Amino acid sequence: MNALHDAEPLLRADNLTMRFGGLTAVRDFSFEIMPGEIVGLIGPNGAGKTTCFNMLTGFYTPTEGRVRFKGVDITNRKPFAIARMGLVRSFQKTNVMKRLTVFENVLTGHYLDGRQSLLETFLPGERVRRAERAARDSAATIIEMMGLGRRMNAPAHLLSCGELRLLEVAVALAAKPTLLMLDEPAAGLNSHEAAGFGETLRTLVGRYVQSLLVVEHNMGLVMSVSDRVVVLNFGQKLAEGRPHEVQANPDVVEAYLGKAAA
Amino acid sequence: MTLERNTLLVALVGALLLPFAVTDQYLLHLAVMALFYVVLATSLNLVVGYVGEFSLGHTAFLGTGAYTAALLSTHAGLPLWITVPVAGLVAAAFGFAIGAITLRLQGPYFVIVTLAFAEVLRLVANNWIAVTNGPMGLAGIGQSGLTDKREFYFVILALAALALYLSYRFVYSNAGRAAVAVRENRYVAQSIGVDPFGAAMQAFVLGAFMAGLAGGFYAHYISFVGPEVFQFAFMATIIIMVLMGGKGTLVGPIVGAVIVTLLEEYLREVQELRLTLFGLIVMAIVLFLPNGLMGFVARRREQHGSTILRNTPAEEKTV
Repeated sequence: MNALHDAEPLLRADNLTMRFGGLTAVRDFSFEIMPGEIVGLIGPNGAGKTTCFNMLTGFYTPTEGRVRFKGVDITNRKPFAIARMGLVRSFQKTNVMKRLTVFENVLTGHYLDGRQSLLETFLPGERVRRAERAARDSAATIIEMMGLGRRMNAPAHLLSCGELRLLEVAVALAAKPTLLMLDEPAAGLNSHEAAGFGETLRTLVGRYVQSLLVVEHNMGLVMSVSDRVVVLNFGQKLAEGRPHEVQANPDVVEAYLGKAAA
Repeated sequence: MTLERNTLLVALVGALLLPFAVTDQYLLHLAVMALFYVVLATSLNLVVGYVGEFSLGHTAFLGTGAYTAALLSTHAGLPLWITVPVAGLVAAAFGFAIGAITLRLQGPYFVIVTLAFAEVLRLVANNWIAVTNGPMGLAGIGQSGLTDKREFYFVILALAALALYLSYRFVYSNAGRAAVAVRENRYVAQSIGVDPFGAAMQAFVLGAFMAGLAGGFYAHYISFVGPEVFQFAFMATIIIMVLMGGKGTLVGPIVGAVIVTLLEEYLREVQELRLTLFGLIVMAIVLFLPNGLMGFVARRREQHGSTILRNTPAEEKTV
């Protein structure tokens, strides 16, 4: 931990607070993600995990506090501008483009790689054709890597729940993020599928993304995948540390299971 | 992609040969009107089919283009070769201004506000007599030496080909995929770096440009422009074409434009019933063919197990 703290954090949230009218969903929440780290964000239902996610990615503007990504203040930036800096997220409810095929979904995810002028759109030259070919090859590679090769040309609405989860991650990866944030990526997976999914996530870091933030209810997955776990409860940080430290923390046990009988 | 392109090329060849087979002036007039509607339906389809927002104000761009060409022709005596491109550009500028306001809205709000813009322009055309000559309209627009219907036919065919080329390039480009991403899922679009407003704006302005070209052509062809060009009846016709043919496909609006143009003409005898019939047709399409005729064709192909030519990487390498 100490060695990591010497480096500049990739993402740093300072004293984030989010109020919706009289309800304070998140209060004074600070944390960091280091380069190369997999961080798990856990907490009981309604603890404020998704609100945090939305504040970090620009979908909500925090009532108070700042977010810095790669040393730049991104607190008031729009979601697409933050995505362009390399912070890409998935959504809690399965969010893919249902009527497009798996391949089209992931190809669309390559949007930032293929941006072009209006003139190039209508009179595509060699540069555009090359970028298009590269995007198509890269899309195929990502799909194979996520294990969806067989389903390449299937419309997304025909995929199983587990395949949809993989596709979501594939679309996010296509945007070439530095920091990938996944909101409950294993929801709806059985424990066997979740284990396989965890394996896949671990292989991403260092190869496709620099760091990973995972919000997840599946404890087995979070504890096996994360380098560090942050626990939220009632909108405040309850604990933070390595997986085994957090699991042994009496406050965390109480938040999840209630107080032990005296 | 390849299938769609080949269909378009075959249609183009057919359209090029048509005036050599048909010499009847009435039939040629119908063909000109059908192609005029192909341009309009194609342009509306960019907004409805690819951005996924339902614009009821597309006549704003048709009318702006028509009045631009009419004014340039009657006042400055400019020929069609100049007025039509200028009409497209002026309509595109209007598209940018109107889009800057309306594209911040979605769903029903967008529908209502776009409709309001077309209505406002209709009122302006009706009342700004000094410029538009009010309800009397602008008559005697020069035909730039085009006397034969066949010559007009080739002009509008060139415009239709241009509109479809631009649409094809747009739809299958990175920018077109961004627009589709916004249509399918605004949140996912943003999270992969797409600016939803910017992506929608590109399609909206492109659609306005094409509608303006069509309007400019219309002014010269009919040689009269009045406030009717802003009327909702035009809008309804274009919508029926897009919905019937299949929104979100390039071939659909062409099929829709041809069918509806012919229907409108041959149902003329039953004047009053015509609109009722159109109403019934729209209801039937929404209920039974939500993706239009082309959507129906695509689904039949899938059910028959024939491999639909989708954009697979292997296929693209050979292009």
